Amino acid sequence: MMDLHEMDLLRHKETMNEQLARYGVRFGIYRNNVFHEQLFPYDPIPRVIDRQNADFLEKGLAQRVMALNAFILDIYGKKQIIHDGVVPEEFVFAGSGYLTQCEGMQPPKGVCSHISGIDLVLGKDGEWYVLEDNLRIPSGASYPMIARELERRCSPKTFRQYQIEDNRDYAALLRGVMDYVSTEGVPVILTPGRYNAAYFEHSYLAEKTGARLVSGQDLFVEDNILYRRTFDGGKERVGAVYRRLGDDFLDPLNFRPDSLIGVPHIFDAFRAGNVAIMNTPGNGVADDKGIYYFVPKMVRYYLNEEPILQNAPTFLPFYGEDMKYVLEHFDELVLKDVAEAGGYGVRFANTMTAGEKEDFIRLLKKEPRRFIAQRVVDFQEIETCSGDGYVPRKADLRAFVLYGEKPVVWKSGLTRFTTNPDSYIVNSSQGGGFKDTWVLSQ
Amino acid sequence: MGTVSVAQMDELFWLGRYTERVYTTIHLYIRYYDEMIERANLFADFCSRMEIPNIYASREDFVKRYGYDESNPDSLASNLQRGYDNAIILREVIGSDSLAYIQLAVYAIHKAARSDAPVIELQKVCDNILAFWGIIDDGSSPQVRDLIRLGRRIERVDLYARMHYESGKMKEAIGRLVHDKLVTGFGNGSSEKAAGLEKYLDNIPLDYHDIVVRAENLF
Repeated sequence: MMDLHEMDLLRHKETMNEQLARYGVRFGIYRNNVFHEQLFPYDPIPRVIDRQNADFLEKGLAQRVMALNAFILDIYGKKQIIHDGVVPEEFVFAGSGYLTQCEGMQPPKGVCSHISGIDLVLGKDGEWYVLEDNLRIPSGASYPMIARELERRCSPKTFRQYQIEDNRDYAALLRGVMDYVSTEGVPVILTPGRYNAAYFEHSYLAEKTGARLVSGQDLFVEDNILYRRTFDGGKERVGAVYRRLGDDFLDPLNFRPDSLIGVPHIFDAFRAGNVAIMNTPGNGVADDKGIYYFVPKMVRYYLNEEPILQNAPTFLPFYGEDMKYVLEHFDELVLKDVAEAGGYGVRFANTMTAGEKEDFIRLLKKEPRRFIAQRVVDFQEIETCSGDGYVPRKADLRAFVLYGEKPVVWKSGLTRFTTNPDSYIVNSSQGGGFKDTWVLSQ
Repeated sequence: MGTVSVAQMDELFWLGRYTERVYTTIHLYIRYYDEMIERANLFADFCSRMEIPNIYASREDFVKRYGYDESNPDSLASNLQRGYDNAIILREVIGSDSLAYIQLAVYAIHKAARSDAPVIELQKVCDNILAFWGIIDDGSSPQVRDLIRLGRRIERVDLYARMHYESGKMKEAIGRLVHDKLVTGFGNGSSEKAAGLEKYLDNIPLDYHDIVVRAENLF
């Protein structure tokens, strides 16, 4: 293992955090319905992924995303995986991620999951485990991007000393995907607005990709073609929309009618094949926590390959046998509400009181489809600076896969760590910080 | 970047206005801050000239709430916040390096609010605004630069007129505004006119109220 204690970058933690503040590197959070912006605490000790692990992850992640993409196309098309009994239809159609409006859709170039954020942890057994697939609007790539830019300014010595893959190509990769799937016209990034939790990222990626940052009111559809309004009353055609708002809000005439931040008829333009929407609406059908259980089966089914990456051991109380196991081993498990995200709806059974357990089990029996249970993966801790010393903290990795002509795994990722020593929940919304992720180039 | 959208055009213009408002009113505030050492109630005159409600109970209350109270819509801090609100949604238009100076100005005014010598700290707000304008002039597209500059010019004429600035300074500010309006063609009216403001460049008496009205109608 690489010893980073003598690394020059460690001396620059304070400067780095000042620089990140200077550039407004923040995330938003709502508490009691009030919006707050917070700086995202940065720690200079990176997660280091050696070449061997990087090669393994690259293959596994690309494979996983190809299977997930095939699944989405299949579900909104022939539904062969259901007919063949590999995934039960209850798990597909009962989930909130499935959208009937997407039936029969044919996204440009057959790509649905253009940007996938796959959350992994490295277990103490040295194995990588996938915890979650995020195929809707995964965020977080901008933080290690800008951190690397600033790290190199603060401590060039560090980057002369270690051979690290440059991660600042993310914007070029993203723009490459936009251009590949674009029908005709300019690319735009559609934001719900500055009070969105990830607004920094929306604006930063727009700047770095050269795409225009737009809100719903900047766009309109005419004859099933999407346009952007220009200041002189003109219009320019839009060929690809990297949307950063959820399906529900995308188009008030096709989804939630009360959405004020969407674009009327944008989904019709998409269905007509006149614009690419990244990621495509309806992707939620594949990143539901219940569907996650079936991803290794999808890999075998669609690609006829053995899955390279493994899931954390997962049980579906929906199946009688799994329910029995869950009830017998309840205290050893973490229970997740499939409808929740961002670290919410996660309950560690061993932290529940007797009354809470009783209530939870009752709910579990009543709504078995709503939950999954997982064995708690004892994942490796990463050293984190604390005062003048170092403390171990739980950390995960969000890896990004960009899918244009083929899936490309970004040679970096967002490493999030928990600031609470007793917590396993690393989400920024729950008080976590972030680290750069180094992929060694040799 | 390509052409800006209608909304961005408006945001750029208001970014120019708010940064100018903060910059110019900080200088006025510092002047009154000094004069109020001897004349404690002078803040009433400031409010009257600026046409803002005098909600201040005392000199100390004025210094604090006009300077740093973000919930007071007239304060320096709230105007800077509105400038920031416009800037933050223009990152891809003006660039992160430019936006950073507005961010630093916001940090500086927060620091000033907590300082024992707040007026000294306010200088850093001005320094960052000047740096912001400098980087915009130096590196932005002409369209972005011109929209921000037009906002600044209108705001300066407006504030100078409200404060009844002497003829030389007033004409200098009007001259810049007229020049930019005619060169860029942005704003209301024909491209050869600057809402009649150009007449004040000749030797006629200044009608401050008329200047404010004409400047406000320019965009």
